[in-house]
Amino acid sequence: MASQAADARARAGWLRGIGAVHEESWTAPDVRRRLQLALAGIWLLDAVLQFQAFMFSRGFSQMLGATAAGNPAVIADPINWSAKIIAGHGTLTNAVFAFIQLAIGLGIAWRPTLKLALGASIVWALGVWWFGEGLGGVLNGAGGPANGAPGAVIIYALLAVLLWPGSRDRAAPFVAGRFTGANVARALWLVLWGSLAYLALLPATRAPKALGGMVSGMASGQPGWLSSVDNHLGAFLTSHGPATAVILAIVLALVAVSVCLPRPAARAGVVLAIVTAAFIWIAEGLGGMLTGGGTDPNSGPLLALVAVAYWPLASSALSATGQPNRIATTQPESPEGA
Amino acid sequence: MAGPSWLAWTFASVVILVAGYCLTRLVASWRRHRPSDHRIDVIHVLMGVAMAGMLVPRLRVFWVGGWEVVFGMGAAWFGWLAIREFRGRPTVGGRPGHHLQHVLGCGAMLYMFLAAATVAKAAAGGSAMGGMAAGAAHFPTLALVLAVALFGYVVWTADRLSSLTPVAALAARSVPVPVLAGAGPGGGTSIVAAGGEGGHGTPGSDGQAPAGQARQAPLSPRLAACCEIAMGVTMGYMLILMI
Repeated sequence: MASQAADARARAGWLRGIGAVHEESWTAPDVRRRLQLALAGIWLLDAVLQFQAFMFSRGFSQMLGATAAGNPAVIADPINWSAKIIAGHGTLTNAVFAFIQLAIGLGIAWRPTLKLALGASIVWALGVWWFGEGLGGVLNGAGGPANGAPGAVIIYALLAVLLWPGSRDRAAPFVAGRFTGANVARALWLVLWGSLAYLALLPATRAPKALGGMVSGMASGQPGWLSSVDNHLGAFLTSHGPATAVILAIVLALVAVSVCLPRPAARAGVVLAIVTAAFIWIAEGLGGMLTGGGTDPNSGPLLALVAVAYWPLASSALSATGQPNRIATTQPESPEGA
Repeated sequence: MAGPSWLAWTFASVVILVAGYCLTRLVASWRRHRPSDHRIDVIHVLMGVAMAGMLVPRLRVFWVGGWEVVFGMGAAWFGWLAIREFRGRPTVGGRPGHHLQHVLGCGAMLYMFLAAATVAKAAAGGSAMGGMAAGAAHFPTLALVLAVALFGYVVWTADRLSSLTPVAALAARSVPVPVLAGAGPGGGTSIVAAGGEGGHGTPGSDGQAPAGQARQAPLSPRLAACCEIAMGVTMGYMLILMI
């Protein structure tokens, strides 16, 4: 073992000597950086899903156009306009969409372009939320927690803000509050999970057979195991839909308020949020990724990622470092604040 | 259902470029005695040729069958290296066994060839990828899991990209091996891990760096890492197309 350690040091010194490695410019990823990398991975997955054959067909533009239904004219008209353009130039527009997402994913993963890519992801996500998801069905009453409301893509933008590598971090009991501050981050959490709780009580979810039909509809085209799970879950929800919607709303409301509670309760809230996100993801049929027609993994994994960013840190990680409003971390920070 | 042909050609061009570059690395390493991880260069050449043939049947310039054996052996070989590395240096770097990345790559190739074989007859006359997709690959969930794991390695490699200084691939730079004083365990482990991420930053496959001798600079670790990224994205695309 001693000779192996010496060998490792020998190689390390050799590489440093020839300048093959910048010791100063790179540090091990901390929690926020790991979450940024997870976000980058999801963007990459989105990009490759966008390269699927279905996305180059007219079906894709029709899918986008369908999101206009029920929305106010000021929202729906631009959606219809963009859907027509995409229908007319399907190959070009879809290729551009896919390469933009690829660039965002790789840009977040590569440290020198982190801020640029996160900024681009916010702009892109807001555009897709409107033109691609019809604001997630929030305004037309069609959105529910089990069908991706308030829009999976808006959660990408939220994550980009929460994980933004600011030049000066603020004191916060969780990673998500290091850029915005704890209070703003708590408010964003309350809005996200509170809106999900509210949407669970709308007729689109609470009406008899609405939730069951929504989940059963996801089973089509899925592999056997997922189709079976969704069919069974759908059958259960068809007979217990309204009660389940109310329970779901209560759970989501508990998750929403847990961010304001003391650390043990807040941690329980985060765990509950992750479990709920997993349930939602199954109900969403994993975003249809296994059907050949899914554009993204839908909201389940993103909600879980948001929840991880709110995991309350140990008090030792919050001790002062000599700089005001700076959180001490167990690992060194990278120059990008990642 | 298959992607547009221009897209298949684009991805095929990328992997051919990578394969050609890795072949150049092998030649440069042999001719100029530049350190490089030959095993990874060889597997990239093989992967590039195989993937190009899968994406565009007209590019099947070499043999058609037998790739399953090649990548099965590759997965076993890198698996053995990963186990050996894990046992030998359990604390080196933040991620013991960077060869796992290549186990995953070889495993994905193996999966794709085995899945393609089951629908080869249905794909008669069409592209291999089209046939694979049309036949709805067995275990599509496995394809998704492999793709997600590959993207995980892609972002992990991209994250470490800035730690690697560009070194001209054809530069004949000779550098002395520094004295080891000051190479603390912390710095040492991070450097070895960073070099190992790309799989090409280590001085040689034997891991020896004799002190006091002049050594050649390694073949560009940053470009090698870019090859990993390009291969990972393309392989992920092919896996998703098979779902």
